[in-house]
Amino acid sequence: MTEQTHQKLPPQARARSFVDQFTKNIVRTGGIAVIGAIVLIMGYFVWVVVPMFLPSSVSVSRSHESENTLIDVLNVSSDDRFEILSYVRANGTIEFRNAATFEVVETQIIIDKRMVVVKPLYPLADAFVGRTIDDELVFFRVTHEVRFDQEVRRVENQLQVLYDESMISIEESLDFDVYRSADKMRVASIRPGGHILVQEYSDIDDYFELEKPRELEIDSWGRNEANIELIFGPRGRWIYEIDQTTGDYRLLNVASIRRHSMEQEGTFDITDGSFALIHPVLGRYSFLVADDQGILNHWILGPVGETQGLTNIRTFRYDEPIVEVVAEHRRKGFFAIDATGQGHLGYTTSARKLAQVPLGIVPHLVAFSPRADRIIAIHEDQVDVFKVSNQHPEISWSTLWGRVWYEGYEKPVYSWQSSSADTDFEPKFSLAPLLFGSIKAACYAMLVATPLAIMGAIYTAVFMAPSMRKIIKPGIEIMAALPTVILGFLAGLWLAPIIEENLTAVMLLIIIPPVGVWVFAYCTTLLPNRITARFEGWFGALTVPVIILLAYLTLANDEFLSNLIFGMDARIWFYEKAGIEYDQRNALIIGIAMGMAVIPTIFSISEDAIYGVPQHLVHGSLALGATRWQTLVRVVLLTASPGIFSAVMIGMGRAVGETMIVLMATGNTPIMDFNLFQGMRTFAANIAVEMPESEVGSTHFRILFFTAFVLFAITFVFNTIAEVVRQRLRSRYGNL
Amino acid sequence: METSERLPLEHQSLFRKRQSFSNWFKSGDPWIWLTATSVGTSIIAVLGLIGLIAVKGLAHFWPSDVVSLSFESEIGIQDIAGEIVQKERVSLDQYKESSLRPVDPDLQSIERWMIKSGNRKVHAPDFRWIYFHEIQTQENLKDMIVFERLEWGNAYGTILEIRELGEVVSTDNLWHDLRSRIKRVKELRHEAKLIQNGAIDRINYQLEKLRLEQRRRELRGNLNVSDIEEERTQLTAEYSNYEAELETVYTQLKRDEVVIQVSGNRESVIPFSNIVRAWQPNSMSWFGKFGHYCSSIWSFLTEGSREANTEGGVFPALFGTVLMVLLMSVLVTPFGVVAALYLREYARQGVFVKLIRIAVNNLAGVPSIVYGVFGLGFFVYLVGGTIDDIFFQAAQPAPTFGTPGLIWASLTLALLTVPVVIVSTEEGLTRIPKALREGSLALGATKAETLFKVVLPMASPSILTGVILAIARAAGEVAPLMLVGVVKLAPTLPIDGNFPFLHLDRKFMHLGFHIYDVGFQSPNVDAARPLVFATALLLVIIIIVLNLTAITLRNRLEARYREAMQ
Repeated sequence: MTEQTHQKLPPQARARSFVDQFTKNIVRTGGIAVIGAIVLIMGYFVWVVVPMFLPSSVSVSRSHESENTLIDVLNVSSDDRFEILSYVRANGTIEFRNAATFEVVETQIIIDKRMVVVKPLYPLADAFVGRTIDDELVFFRVTHEVRFDQEVRRVENQLQVLYDESMISIEESLDFDVYRSADKMRVASIRPGGHILVQEYSDIDDYFELEKPRELEIDSWGRNEANIELIFGPRGRWIYEIDQTTGDYRLLNVASIRRHSMEQEGTFDITDGSFALIHPVLGRYSFLVADDQGILNHWILGPVGETQGLTNIRTFRYDEPIVEVVAEHRRKGFFAIDATGQGHLGYTTSARKLAQVPLGIVPHLVAFSPRADRIIAIHEDQVDVFKVSNQHPEISWSTLWGRVWYEGYEKPVYSWQSSSADTDFEPKFSLAPLLFGSIKAACYAMLVATPLAIMGAIYTAVFMAPSMRKIIKPGIEIMAALPTVILGFLAGLWLAPIIEENLTAVMLLIIIPPVGVWVFAYCTTLLPNRITARFEGWFGALTVPVIILLAYLTLANDEFLSNLIFGMDARIWFYEKAGIEYDQRNALIIGIAMGMAVIPTIFSISEDAIYGVPQHLVHGSLALGATRWQTLVRVVLLTASPGIFSAVMIGMGRAVGETMIVLMATGNTPIMDFNLFQGMRTFAANIAVEMPESEVGSTHFRILFFTAFVLFAITFVFNTIAEVVRQRLRSRYGNL
Repeated sequence: METSERLPLEHQSLFRKRQSFSNWFKSGDPWIWLTATSVGTSIIAVLGLIGLIAVKGLAHFWPSDVVSLSFESEIGIQDIAGEIVQKERVSLDQYKESSLRPVDPDLQSIERWMIKSGNRKVHAPDFRWIYFHEIQTQENLKDMIVFERLEWGNAYGTILEIRELGEVVSTDNLWHDLRSRIKRVKELRHEAKLIQNGAIDRINYQLEKLRLEQRRRELRGNLNVSDIEEERTQLTAEYSNYEAELETVYTQLKRDEVVIQVSGNRESVIPFSNIVRAWQPNSMSWFGKFGHYCSSIWSFLTEGSREANTEGGVFPALFGTVLMVLLMSVLVTPFGVVAALYLREYARQGVFVKLIRIAVNNLAGVPSIVYGVFGLGFFVYLVGGTIDDIFFQAAQPAPTFGTPGLIWASLTLALLTVPVVIVSTEEGLTRIPKALREGSLALGATKAETLFKVVLPMASPSILTGVILAIARAAGEVAPLMLVGVVKLAPTLPIDGNFPFLHLDRKFMHLGFHIYDVGFQSPNVDAARPLVFATALLLVIIIIVLNLTAITLRNRLEARYREAMQ
């Protein structure tokens, strides 16, 4: 209807025309909105996933010329929200400054003595240990609390000197390190002559004096004690002793304070250059070791042969020698500064060089903010704050899909382990075990479902009496609607124990019923025709009692059968002869249960395809003298094969993404083992298990979205192939 | 199509005349029999599954007899009373693994019974295997009573005495007295529930609203809260009144207790406040048992769950499932139909529409968990979070809509099932003969009129089919719901007496999730398993009924077109 006719219409017709237009617009908008929503799904996934792969950056945010010199600042730290900077100065004071304006907020006295060294009280983030000019150790804690006084927000800075101000003496100008756990503290220090003294203070409390320690002496290494650096290892159970001139190291096991053992002696060997510096990465399971040629090696603590030792697992190469390294407080990232004053942001797990920033000059003090979103660099009287945008450094294409050498491992592995109770945990985000699990589950399900469903479809479409087909087809299709949670429940709690008890019998069920049916079928040829003629088209139903009987007999005689075949219980046989362990919830269970879920899909679609084969083809073939079987295989199935193919594709798509069955009927362990008697963890089950606990916007969250997207993509591809094939088939049938 | 045309291959009978085995094998017939075996297996699988669930689920409610056994064990003769849950035979090797006691070595296998002996807190394990050959005596005591308790599962025993306020009551018929007292506590419990769920919940709800109002004013800088304070005082006073009332009911509830003798000649005291029901299965007639059976099923359907979902009914889960599915269908029907109408009636048919159609078809095959992830990320965190920021600032940091809930679950499932409705509706629309549309247009009807008066009514059965299939799919989905709103135990139903009556932001319970949770997360799987079967049966029945309705509708629809075409 054009505009002109619209004008001339009488009122009633105008109303009708309005309704017509209105409907048109509503349907259009609604339709496009729904289609838009579908597109939105994909768009949203991309929106969540893409930030994971965006590059990181470091940029200068603020610079400040201090009114007094900063050369005596021994340690700089900040609070969680980066509102306050805390400078610990050599005169024994701590200075709190506004992180935005750099104005001094307040100054407090830690100790009325000069300090020479301040380092963090490993592994705490907010406590420090200082060494005074008299070689005494003083411990203090710095906290920042947000308070509201009459709706006005302010940050309260607190300095607390720990252990009732008791101090520990160490030797003049020799190195030391401190480890602190929930209730004890260990101090390791070099003594004159080069031996190490480990003192353990137990039952400590921040507010009480330290009591007399238990002591452990470790023999001298026979090196110049002035060059030795001591670093406590994970949980204070290890001591790394490093000769700073040669790069030689000793790895000492001090798990018990009563004795120690030397686990490994070695060198941080550097091919061309010589050892320059070493800095531990979060958790102290690994180190970054720099030489004087621009090489930064990542060494980890892990199994070396029979014992524990350090291994060089990856190398970062830079143009200039690295002169300073700092580590992030909550992840395994680092910031390295080379001799020209260039800063390099990197990440150990993913071996990524993330970003570069010119500092201009090598600062004398560098620190990460707790969230690693800022880097503070101090040089003489200037302080620079760099803004770091580095959300997902642990991710790269190769860490997601390839082998990664993690801390504590003997070799690179595929591993999925997303979280742990420890804060210094290295997350393992390899998707390979999950992909493997998904494929494994789908393969076993398809192995069960495809033959059953396709053969069933052939029989139903070609040989079955129409009256029986009318019942059987919807009957099997109803199984598609059966909630998978029920299939999973039955598989996990009912089927799994039965199969475990009757393993031999269940495996024999592949062979015994078909063979039994053949015997039965041959016997029917011996019967007179007038009896058998009555069952024309119904002989599928005749097989049911035969199968049930045979299955029952097989299952009832499991013990006899397994003794006959294996001479023992099948599970024991598999374990002893093939080394295959038997999990109660395994791939066999999944194959059967998920097979049940997939059969109706494949059955229904391939039955349609076979049923739709034009009849004149069949007549022609039979007229030319082919047997029924020949006609079926060479004419009917060949013609319907694209349809069957698309049925399998759709079934595969369903099997890959099925969640509840896998969740309930396997142990959900992310292992890579194609063994029939072991479980797996699939993408879908992994999402169901981990998604509710995942922190919004975290790397873990985005990776789970990514896996969902991968699932989406896989099934989309399978389904599209199936759909295209099916549409072609439809037009071909039309032409025939 | 006629049978004779359809089945040419069948025409040569499979049951052929006698022939040699090798000839028979060459003819290819064995392979055809193999295909028949596949169908047979599939049929067995379908019927077996449904039969298994039905048998196990329905058997749960039958009041089975309580047997009292005495048997030998490592510590001498022991007594046990309970229901026989399972009987099975185990091999001699298995027996030796679990028992040190000697046994006749000639035996092939040994029979054992699983006894549910109840009386948790008195006996250590409430399920126990007893070997048949070790049983010395077995009897069904007439006056054995089964107590269904609110806590600690069932108790089995015979009444010794009934105490009121600690004093033994003298009565000639203990069983009769017991039943009347159980009836009394039932009424009291109902009374308490009325106060708790009616008045007290309402006051709590209003108090929470006041708190939010106050916070809202604070955010706006309005510090005048005197009226709120006043109202609060009033509500608190009212609250303490009801609380006192509740307290008296509770005191009444705690008045009586019954002492029973449990197996092993031990006594056990059960307060009446802990008894749900009591029955004497051994002296019930068949009709009595049937009556009990029906009432058990009824209470299963209408009561809430207890004991971390391992006992009691599934009403909240059933309610949650139905409500969520209803909401979903209200959302999915208009959108699905409109999208189908657009694609089929209004959009220009071309490559683009073809692509869209393929995409829609494909979406039906996308794993449901993917929709769950989308729902959690997009609906809950993004949309819900934004709604909270704009409208529910006062409630923060506690999320209102920014957390999984009913509305998000319904929306997610609507998105999941919209392709089903689109595809089904489109199918219905394509089947309408072009002549009918053209006839309508030729008579002067506008396109909208044709749509409303001719096309849509004719397509309505297929729309309905689509919606029913969507409902059936939604009712059985669990994986996405685990992310967007289902919980194992919701404190309140999403519908109650407080304005706005339907609380879209609340979390809810769901039958499918109930099965997963009770079957796999509960500490006492043995005790919970029958209940899971019963729940599974309920869910299967709902879904099969929905599907059968859809199939029937589809058949009617086909018949209807045949008429329209002629």
